[in-house]
Parts: sequence; C-alpha cells; structure tokens
Amino acid sequence: MIVFLQSLLSGVLVGGVYALIGIGLTIIFGVMRIINFAHGDLLMVGMYLTFFIFTLLGIDPFLSILVSIPLMFLLGAFLQKVFINRVLNALPQNQILLTIGLGLVMSNTAMLLFTSDYRILTTSYSSGSVSLGGLSISTPLLLSFLITAAITAFLYWFLLKTDIGQAIRATAQDRDAAQLMGINVKRMSVLATGLGAALAGTAGALISPTYYIYPQVGSAFTLKAFVIVVLGGMGSIIGATMGGIIIGVTESLAAVTPFIGSGLKEAVVFLLFLLVLLFRPAGLLGKSRM
Amino acid sequence: MLRARKPARGLAALPLVLAVVATILLCLFPAVVSSPYTLHVMILIFLSVVQGESWNVLGGYTGQYSVGHAAYFGMGAYVTIMLLQFKGIAPWYGMWAAVAAAIVLGLVIGSITFRLRGPYFVLASIAVAEIIRLVTLNWKEVTNGAEGILLSGVPPLKIGETVITDWSSKVPFYYAGLALAVLTILVNYAVQHSKLGYYFQAIREDQDAAHSLGIPLARYKNIALAISAFFTAWSGAFYGLYVGFVDPSTVQTVEVSVSIVLICIIGGIGTILGPVVGSLVLVPLAEALRSNLIADGLFALGLDPTSRTGLFLKENLAHAHVLIYGILVVVVILFMPDGVLGYVKAVTRKRATRTEAA
Amino acid sequence: MSAPILEIKQVYKLFGGLAANSDVSFQMEEGMILGLIGPNGAGKTTLFNCITGYYPPTRGEVLFQGKRLNGLEPDQVCKLGMARTWQKVRPLAKMTVLDNVMVGALCRTGSLKVARDIALEQLHVVKLEHKNGFLAGGLPIGERKKLEVARVLATKPTLLLLDEVMGGLNPAESDEIIQLILDLKKRGLTQMVIEHDMKAIMRISDRIVVLNSGAKLAEGLPQEIVSNKDVITAYLGDALE
Repeated sequence: MIVFLQSLLSGVLVGGVYALIGIGLTIIFGVMRIINFAHGDLLMVGMYLTFFIFTLLGIDPFLSILVSIPLMFLLGAFLQKVFINRVLNALPQNQILLTIGLGLVMSNTAMLLFTSDYRILTTSYSSGSVSLGGLSISTPLLLSFLITAAITAFLYWFLLKTDIGQAIRATAQDRDAAQLMGINVKRMSVLATGLGAALAGTAGALISPTYYIYPQVGSAFTLKAFVIVVLGGMGSIIGATMGGIIIGVTESLAAVTPFIGSGLKEAVVFLLFLLVLLFRPAGLLGKSRM
Repeated sequence: MLRARKPARGLAALPLVLAVVATILLCLFPAVVSSPYTLHVMILIFLSVVQGESWNVLGGYTGQYSVGHAAYFGMGAYVTIMLLQFKGIAPWYGMWAAVAAAIVLGLVIGSITFRLRGPYFVLASIAVAEIIRLVTLNWKEVTNGAEGILLSGVPPLKIGETVITDWSSKVPFYYAGLALAVLTILVNYAVQHSKLGYYFQAIREDQDAAHSLGIPLARYKNIALAISAFFTAWSGAFYGLYVGFVDPSTVQTVEVSVSIVLICIIGGIGTILGPVVGSLVLVPLAEALRSNLIADGLFALGLDPTSRTGLFLKENLAHAHVLIYGILVVVVILFMPDGVLGYVKAVTRKRATRTEAA
Repeated sequence: MSAPILEIKQVYKLFGGLAANSDVSFQMEEGMILGLIGPNGAGKTTLFNCITGYYPPTRGEVLFQGKRLNGLEPDQVCKLGMARTWQKVRPLAKMTVLDNVMVGALCRTGSLKVARDIALEQLHVVKLEHKNGFLAGGLPIGERKKLEVARVLATKPTLLLLDEVMGGLNPAESDEIIQLILDLKKRGLTQMVIEHDMKAIMRISDRIVVLNSGAKLAEGLPQEIVSNKDVITAYLGDALE
C-alpha cells in the first residue's frame, strides 16, 4: 500500500512537469495546426542551458529559469519566423518532416558541441527528500512540481485574462475568423512557438537535477508529449494538464507493477496512447478546444 | 499550366532499355571492381534502395506517412537472426517467418491506425515502433535485450549438393542486395501500372473522393501496408545477415524510421526512381563523412589540418552525418518539396519553356 | 408507374442536439431528374451525405432499388450504382485528367485497358478529352466540374447525385452542363440535382423538393413550386436578402 501511495505521489509530481511539456506542444498545435516533432529537442536545449548556467555561473537550476525562459522564447520565435512559417500551408507530412529535421539538427549539434557523454547536474539538495505522512518526497521533484504549478497557474491567467492570451486562444479556435477580427495571426504564431519553446525549455530546466543530460534525451520526451496532448485532445490546455498527470501516474505505477517494471513503463504509456486513439481519438475530454 | 507529358510509344521504351543496361552493368561490376570497401558501399546503396522503395508503396503512392518502419525492419532482422542463431533455421526459410510476422504486425497496426487521418497516423506508427523496441529491449530471455545477437555465421546456400555460395566474401551479398533492389523496383513498377497504383494514388490525393468512387479505403491502405512491410522486413533480414549482428539501437530506433523516410523525401516521393536517387545521395554522403573523405578533401583544397577548424572538422565530421541529414531534410522541405528528382524536373521544364519562348 | 429507385423515409440527422435533417421523406422514380433546393444551410448536402453513406442517418432509412443503405460505406454505395459529385470539387490533383476518370472506371473493372476505354468515352461525353494528359490540379473551375462529372459517370451509376455542379460557372459553361444533364436523362440516367440557379433547376427538373432548416418544406412540379407561398417566403425571401 505504501509503495502504491508513494508511486502515485511521485507520479503526480513528475506528471506536473510532463504537463508543462504537453501544454507547450498543444499551444503550438492549437495556433498553427503543426505538430512540433522538435519539442523534446527544445527540452534538451533547455537542459543544457541550465547545466551550463549552473556549472559556469553557479546559478541554481530552479533560479536559472529566469534566464532560460526568455532565451528559449527567442529560440522558438526564431524557429517559427525562419522555418516553420514557410510551411504553414504545406502538406501536413512536410510540416512534420521539417520539425523532425530541425530536431535532428538541434540534437546532433548538441552532440558535436558537447559530445554524447551523459552529464549529471548535482545540487546540494539533489538527493534530499522531505517526508510527508510516512511518504518520502524527493526535494528536487517537489520543488519542480511547485514551480510547475505556479507557471501553469500563471499561464492560465495569461491565456484567459490578458488580451494577448485571448487572441492566442481565438487564433487556436479558428484561424480565419481570428484574422477577420483583426488579430495579427502571424504574430500569434510567433508568440505561440516562442511560448511553447519556453515551456519545453523550462521543463528541461526543472528536470535537469533528476535526469541524465545528453543530446538524444529529447526524442523520448517528444513522444511522451504527443501522448499527453492526444490524451487530452489536441489543442486543449486543460487536456494537456490532465494528460501530463495521467501519464506521470501511469508510468510511475507501471514501474512498480510486477511483470512490467521500469524498463517497460514507457511501453505501457504508448499502449495507453494506442487505446485512446482506438476508442477516443478526440481525446479523453472530447472536443479539441483551448 | 502543368501538363504531364506522355512520351511517344518509341520513347517509352527508352527508360526500360536504360534500366536493363544499368542492371547488366551492375551485374558485371564485381568482376571489374574487387575492392571490398567499394562493394560494401554498393551493398549499402542496395539496402537503402530496398528500404526506400518499400516505404514508397505506402508513403509515396498511398500517402500514409509511416514514421515507424523500424518496426518492420527490426522484425525482419530479429526474427531471421533469432531463428538462425538460436534454432539453426536457415535464413532463406527464416526470412519467410520474419516477413509473415511483419505483415501480421502491419495489419494489426493498420486496423488500429487507418481509421485515423493525418498526424494521428504518423504518431501511432511511431508509438507502435517504440513499443516493439521497448519489448525487444526488455524481453531478455528471448531477444538478448540491449546486448543484441551476434551471428556466428551464415550457413552455405546449397541447391541439392552443389554449394552456390558460402557467404565468405562481399560478392554474394552484393548479388543478393542487387536482386532485392531490382525486385522492389519492379514491385513499384507493377504497383504503379496496375489498379492498385491508381487506387493508392487516389487515396493519397483525396480520401473522401476516393471513397465516393468506390474504393474501400481500409482494404487498400492495408494492402499497401502489407506490401511495404513485406519488403521492409526482407531488407531487415538482409541487413541482419550482412552485418551479422542486431541490437535494438541499430535496427529499431526512431532514427532508423526517419532515415527510411528520408531516402524517399530526398529523392522524390511517389516515383519509382525517387528512392534510387535518394540512396545515391544519402549513402555516399554518409560514407564520405564517416571515412573523413570530406575533411580530407577540404585539407587538399588548402585548409590547414592543424588549425583549430581543421582539427575540429577532422575530429567531428565523422559523427556529423545525422546532422547533415537533418540539414538536408530542412533544405529539401523548404526549397524542393518534391525531392531532388522533382526539383530537377521543374528546372528542366523551366529551361525548356524559356528556350521555347526565346 | 415503375417502382421507386430511391426511397427516403423519415430521415433525421442530428449533430449534437442540432438537427441538420429532420423527418425528410420523398422518393424518386427511374429516369427522372429531381431538383433539391433550399436556402443555404437547409441541409441539402447533409442529406446527400446521409444517402451516400458518409454518415449514417440518426433515424429513418434510405432504400436504393429496394435495398436498405443504412450502415453501408460510401464505396459500397458506389458499387451498388449510386454515385455523387462534391459541391467543393475534389480533383485528384497530382494525377492526370485521364487517370482521374480511370479511377472511377476501375470501380467496375480490374483491367486498366478497359478502364481507359471507359474513361475516354466519358471524357468525350463531357467534352474534356483534349485535356487528357493535363494534371487535374491545374484545371480551371469549369473544367474541374466537368471532370468531376466524367469521373462519377465512369463508375457506371444508375442514380447520379449532383451537388451544385453549376456553382461558380459562367452562363455559357452552365448551359453546357444543363445540356449534359438533359442528355444523360435521355440516356435513361436518374439524377438528383442540388442547385442554386433557380432558372436552371426549373428547366431540368421533373419534380422539385424544397428543404428548409433541415425539413422538407414542399415537393411538386416546378410550376407548383414557383407559386408555392411557403417556398417564396422561405427560399426566395432568403435569396433576395
């Protein structure tokens, strides 16, 4: 029982970060109808950024997001303006391939620059834990969850209450109508990609104290991000938030289930994904909507 | 206006003659060139052609972009090698089991994913390939897990008591690869010139229109997938036997799936020659990078090998082929979305109209 | 009078809670042309989709030559001999005009040679054979509409459903299509035609069904329809806006 509760809890905590990755992907998809296959690679860039800010400047990974968020935003905006913008009306498969190509460029550039060695970011609290009612929670995991929760809350406020946020949502719901109503759709696309990249980068920063950092780390997260987004309904932010938690918990519980274990926990996630595609292709929440 | 010209009857024979001549020359090639490395590169080109042409049936003609073909490639390699190494079943029998397994897998995937359109199919194809990879990685008792399986040898191929080959040199692999490549090209040709090809392309162009014209979508998509899985699995079996080793990271990763798609994208999708052109670009490029030919070339052109740039290039270009792949994809999608072949055609057409106008 | 070739019995189609079609019933006899008209959003195309298998009717049934169609897929409906065109034309863009029509013809044959002959014949019927080798995606709208018709004719239908084949055409092109529809009728082909051009529909139809807000508003001979008060307020009122 204690194992179950422990896994459930850490699943929820990890799920928070997954939600952040999923929200980024879903915003990009919502606004441009493009699935960003380079999403995990953006996360990888965020991890390296955090790693070097920590090792070279000695800034704590959780603090460094103040630097990495704007930088990642610029990277996303750059990718949109220079590359993605040119394929907005292309065949979906070509859009997918373009982002796959961009991902390959990012991960392999990282490999050239930083080699394929695994790096570990060790902070003073990396192996620390907090005990809560008999359950022990890893300190970095708890911190990252709290930051995630704060960012997600901020994001909801931004999208629901600010003019720009509403413009982004309007564009996501109906690009043509938004354009007719005078929303600068091009600017929204740049903003959305920037935002998505910033969220992926933040997620990278938040998990860097608990994960190995290496150039190919992204692809697993790209796949997971898809699962999260499809689970919640493409383009739905609430869906992505819930999808993230569901995936976190599923993985965590699968890892302690006999005959599955940590090696196959991701296979369980993909299996869940196929089942959702089979029975509820519009996602668990039904209609895709932001 | 775009006009697809139909060549006159006499001219239609020309590509056929060229293809036959090319095949004959390729058959004679090992008699002239004996360098094992050159043969090795040729074998890799054949393998790439087989992979590309196989994917082309599903992705090119039918428009179903599978980014999970590593599942079939890996299935072909693993089943053939496992049957040979663990059960002693000769690969020319084992291959059929591999192919059957791949087709069954394909039909299961197809029945789940073909109801979905667009990005969902791409995502599902990746997810299935990943499940297969993770299962292979973790089912150690059967697959040997991440360590992979090292083949202790390929048994000699005999007809009756006559030994055809004992596979001791590259030459038999060369001919096997060539035969497979020619076969898959013929399959593409046959598909293109049959009802199947018309139906596949109609599905690619517009599923609803195709449906309303009497085409059962699911059945024809599954046929395309089965053909594609069949030959991809064969290419996997061929790869496994040639290299003598399989492990999940070389035959089952997303990178493998992507590289199969690339062969077609770069050459030109939905054409018979596209995968051949793609292979002729990609394989030599990868080999040139791997063997540092490009760095050596730059040094020969006057770059100082001891300078910082020189050292950096020498050190790293060998590992850069995936980076170059990535750049190629981006460039091709942005500037020549119909691949090298489509680009060349468009340029020659432009030139032709310009000369006509002049 | 012969048995009806198509019977539509109390067909409902609901999307969410919204009724796109409600309680629509009518029937068609062999050889006739039935005009289906109504203001925008009246549910004409939805009805086409229900009849041809794109989505099953929520309630009610569709009988074609006495056979119940509910639950059949569009390709099965096509095989039975009911073919439809699309309001927004759907050329197979990267295939040639001839290949487009051959795809239709392959519904009845496995042989490319036979299919080519059928296709050439139908292209001749719509007077498009001079564009055989062109890519369908590059045709101007008038010729795309003709291609659409040639392609469904190649499936050898006994009942043809035409969804606004005159939309977006100039008067000369429309006249050509009207002539074509009348020629096809002479050859015994039964047709249901959705059209916005009232003059055209009055000229070709043997009987007209008017839909409004998803339900049948009126049915009758063309001259009855033009003098029907409900139709004038609902349909023409809308058209005059």
